[in-house]
Amino acid sequence: MADEALPEIRWRDVNKLLARPGNIVAPTFAHSPQLRDDLGKYVRVLVVGAGGLGCELLKDLALMGFQNIDVIDMDTIEVSNLNRQFLFRLQDVGKSKAEVAAKRVMQRVSGVTIVPHFCRIEDKDIEFYNNFQIIVLGLDSIEARSYINSVACSFLEYDDNDNPIEETVKPMVDGGTEGFKGHARVIMPGTTPCFECTIWLFPPQVKFPLCTLAETPRTAAHCIEYAHLIRWDEVHSGKAFDADNPEHMQWVYSEAVKRADLFGITGVTYSLTQGVVKNIIPAIASTNAIISAACALETFKLVSGCSKTLSNYLTYNGLDGIHIKATDFVREKDCLVCGPGTLIELETSVTLLQFIESLAEHPKLLISKPSITYRGNNLYMQAPPILEEMTRSNLRLPLFNLMDKVPKGTVHVSGSTDKDGKRTSCLRKLRVVFKGVDGIVDMDVAGGS
Amino acid sequence: MDGDGWHGIQLFRDSPLRLSLPRSLRCSSPRLSLWEGGKMINLFKIKDQKREESGNATGRAPVKKQSAGELRLHKDISELNLPKTTGITFPNGKDDLMNFEIIIRPDEGYYQGGTFLFTFQVSPSYPHEPPKVKCKTKVYHPNIDLEGNVCLNILREDWKPVLNINTIIYGLNLLFTQPNDEDPLNHDAAAVLRDNPRLFENNVKRAMAGGYVGQIYFTRCI
Amino acid sequence: MATEAKTKYDRQLRIWGEQGQSALEKASICLLNCGPTGSEALKNLVLGGIGSVTVVDGSKVEAFDLGNNFMLDQESLGQSKAKCVSAFLQELNDAVKAKFVEESPETLIETKPSFFTQFTLVIATQLLDRYLLKLDKICWQANVILVVARSYGLTGLVRISMKEHDVIESKPDHFLDDLRLHNPWPELKEYAHTFDLNVKTPVVHKHIPYIVILINIAEEWANTHGGSLPSTRQEKRDFKDQVKAHMLNLDEENYKEAMDASFKVSAPRGISSHLLQIINDSAAEVDSTSSDFWVLVAALKEFIENEGDGEPPLEGSIPDMTSLTDYYINLQKIYQAKAESDCLAMEQRVRNILKRIGRDPESISKASIKNFCKNARKLFVCRYRQLEDEYNTPVLPELQKYLTDEDYSFAVGFYILLRAVDRFAANYNRFPGMFDGDMDEDISWLKTIAVGILNDLGFHGSTIPEDLINEMCRFGGAELHAVAALIGGIASQEVIKLVTKQFVPLTGTFIFNGIDQKSQVLPF
Repeated sequence: MADEALPEIRWRDVNKLLARPGNIVAPTFAHSPQLRDDLGKYVRVLVVGAGGLGCELLKDLALMGFQNIDVIDMDTIEVSNLNRQFLFRLQDVGKSKAEVAAKRVMQRVSGVTIVPHFCRIEDKDIEFYNNFQIIVLGLDSIEARSYINSVACSFLEYDDNDNPIEETVKPMVDGGTEGFKGHARVIMPGTTPCFECTIWLFPPQVKFPLCTLAETPRTAAHCIEYAHLIRWDEVHSGKAFDADNPEHMQWVYSEAVKRADLFGITGVTYSLTQGVVKNIIPAIASTNAIISAACALETFKLVSGCSKTLSNYLTYNGLDGIHIKATDFVREKDCLVCGPGTLIELETSVTLLQFIESLAEHPKLLISKPSITYRGNNLYMQAPPILEEMTRSNLRLPLFNLMDKVPKGTVHVSGSTDKDGKRTSCLRKLRVVFKGVDGIVDMDVAGGS
Repeated sequence: MDGDGWHGIQLFRDSPLRLSLPRSLRCSSPRLSLWEGGKMINLFKIKDQKREESGNATGRAPVKKQSAGELRLHKDISELNLPKTTGITFPNGKDDLMNFEIIIRPDEGYYQGGTFLFTFQVSPSYPHEPPKVKCKTKVYHPNIDLEGNVCLNILREDWKPVLNINTIIYGLNLLFTQPNDEDPLNHDAAAVLRDNPRLFENNVKRAMAGGYVGQIYFTRCI
Repeated sequence: MATEAKTKYDRQLRIWGEQGQSALEKASICLLNCGPTGSEALKNLVLGGIGSVTVVDGSKVEAFDLGNNFMLDQESLGQSKAKCVSAFLQELNDAVKAKFVEESPETLIETKPSFFTQFTLVIATQLLDRYLLKLDKICWQANVILVVARSYGLTGLVRISMKEHDVIESKPDHFLDDLRLHNPWPELKEYAHTFDLNVKTPVVHKHIPYIVILINIAEEWANTHGGSLPSTRQEKRDFKDQVKAHMLNLDEENYKEAMDASFKVSAPRGISSHLLQIINDSAAEVDSTSSDFWVLVAALKEFIENEGDGEPPLEGSIPDMTSLTDYYINLQKIYQAKAESDCLAMEQRVRNILKRIGRDPESISKASIKNFCKNARKLFVCRYRQLEDEYNTPVLPELQKYLTDEDYSFAVGFYILLRAVDRFAANYNRFPGMFDGDMDEDISWLKTIAVGILNDLGFHGSTIPEDLINEMCRFGGAELHAVAALIGGIASQEVIKLVTKQFVPLTGTFIFNGIDQKSQVLPF
């Protein structure tokens, strides 16, 4: 690319904010004509998702001066993306969203490097995510948000006073849309609520009772879900339903029509069938543009410090006029994902059994009958008996060994504790630190077994 | 905030935050630039190398991430209080709690003496989303269809995050002691239960022993 | 609609339907100035399949354009900006006609006002207010909708200007179906009477729809309360208890639904004050020049006063509820039959009114009347002030209120300052803070101008926070891409609402606050 020739005058507008002092800026804001260049050279941003929000985000970030961007998305381009995902054309259908989006933005904005990752977010090593100073999310599922959130929060470490250690904070900016509505939020793990702290903000999906579908259908959606959830299995024993297979969808549609006719129900259409079965969320270009722009602007301000930032959750509704509201949510202090948990210092010789016994006496915990899990390994389970038996032999082993000899690590404990004189069940996060083990080793690297 | 610490976050006004880079990486040049480039990029290069080395040399699997859902399930499982009719198995071993099976052997009612296998699939969004439960034993039952779909309100429309695996297992047991003809999934079985309980009892016996009820063959599950 | 277009537009058709889409495809949009704000607004419209766009801009692409406008790349340097932007837009969707005029909008406004009359809607971006005021007059006279969008540093605004915008399909988020539980018509009552709430069969008992339950229990209640329905808080509680007393067990979903909906029995009869205001609007006194909308409102008014007996035509839809299929389908049919007969009566009235005012009685289609009836409770009339009125006759008490409200202080400050920078530009031929060297001078001049504007508005002694004035100068007229994309995004959303005549457009001025994202709509 012959773009290096482009003079810095290109960034005239961005530089108004970066090169000048301001009155409403972060205390550490260091205005400088060099700042834009530094932002471009040394900041790595990860964009998760290259769909409706992702396409906009890549463009917005590139034009706000970020020049090292990675984008990850496992999806391929579909025709129904083209009404809003403006980096894609009809001839791109079937190709990787991440790859095409990265290429198109690099073609138009000189000097920016966008590295595409055409894979699932879970396919990447956790340490991959540690390469970025900030992660911007343009996703449409709770699962994916929850995953990235847990990854970003896993880098977070607390000091002895339960204050987040700043170098381990991995900020996230998250956007989401549905029709004319959307949200944008800033997550600073350890300081503002993480995704898990406010999971209740997402309403659970409506699910019809199966017996209604089977016995007393009343709406077109009931007939469609009957065909999808019950009739399909009856007829195609063993063959899994694939929502992306048009023949499968057509079959569900025609079965739904039959069922609706049988009961005198109206309103089954192919479009509704797709909508119900795939749980399609309506999406338009304008809302995606608005929410992505808000996210990109927050990213820019967070990284540069050139102004105040959103604190910490913005809701947008354009159905009836324009409504924007910023809500300052607070953290769940006992959050299992972003909270500090309880710090425990141990000798490397302490066995799991001794550790378990100590939890009952620990003044901050007083947990009896604890079950212990470490990074998906169930070290000891009190119940059911079958698991107790499978994990019993661990009791004699030193916890240090069970935790792969890391100098420190997080374990989770389920058990019961006394609360106001009542025994209640609890789930706690414990930060275990082993005495006398060289603490310099990076926990996330060393823990990789 | 002094010395070599990172300035990852700083409170500003009524709490917005900013991210900046480590002061240790800033050089003492007169210009107050935020980042002193060369060093910064080196740091990340070093980190990358370290990761690659550890990954390649030892061939270690990536660190497994435990979702909030898995943690909550860990709690549910560790507190399981199974009724004596119910057993549980973990086909993928002790570290995969997200997929398990339970076996119910009702000790009273129409289904006494039968053995019924259910599979549980728990998603990472648990308990935001309920587990997917299927009955793997073909059963003649008003609330379980021949494909193993189970009509239990707390598995779908009435699921709430405060409920847990114990509640579901209790609910499944109840289905065998109190089959209900008012919200049927197997229409024929429900009609028989409502209109002719004795015939229903016989049909259940026949099905459990392995045989036909009407046109449908049931494999033995006693 | 062709299958491919249907698939391509699927996610938006689920929002505004084929009707809305066809309205978009018929619209012709003119954009003034194709910086990032305008380009991004058009991008969203072109993706959605707007009929045609005409980009008006007289400037050539310069290096700094490449730092904030995605539609321009290195090859565009030195070329007509309008041409380059239009070419990129065309690439996005070949179903759209993308045209351009290489001419400065200011010149067109001054010399060729008739140019604007060919469009459905004009989006004016980054235009100084003295031109906006002229353009507004032109558009107002020609009945062309004007959408104003401005990005300025970390702030910006969006505003609509037109005489009146009437919405039938306002599609509110949570709108309760009109079930008439407080006032059932004879056929509905009759159907409710075919049920015995004390039926012994459990399957039947737990599947009686709550509509039937409530109508019957309300009747029981009225019989023991001198014909009146529960109205006091205590009575409502008692009524709910009476519903609960009919439950055979506490699991009966239909009774739970009945208890949740029991307040509907006490709903006041008649129409909302919002609708009352519309039917009493002077525009509802129709003549041959009246729009279809107001003819329909006139008919609605007659309907409410006559066969409606105080109520609007019934929409005919009922929510899903626990019920046996047959009961539910029967109920649905009863509601639909009533809706159809109401619609027929409305149609009669519409035809008579059309005849009376000397129009073809068939000039409003049956489908339109039906659609109107289905939305009669959700009508919206948005009236706008001419830009000149906003400038010359401010709504003082409102402004005063917002000036002193902490939540609005940034927004009001930006509102005044956005005007102030235009006055500054008119005086000094540059935006404040445009050049580094003039900073201190510009800050004090801008402050003087802002105070002057406040004085003109009648707020003597009021002032704008110093910090905000400083920031405004720091912005120096910058058009940041992220801000432009947001402002352009909002402008395009409003265009969609205006063109499809669905949802409720912005009234007042939207002020973007990019500092802490506490943006506001000021009602003036």
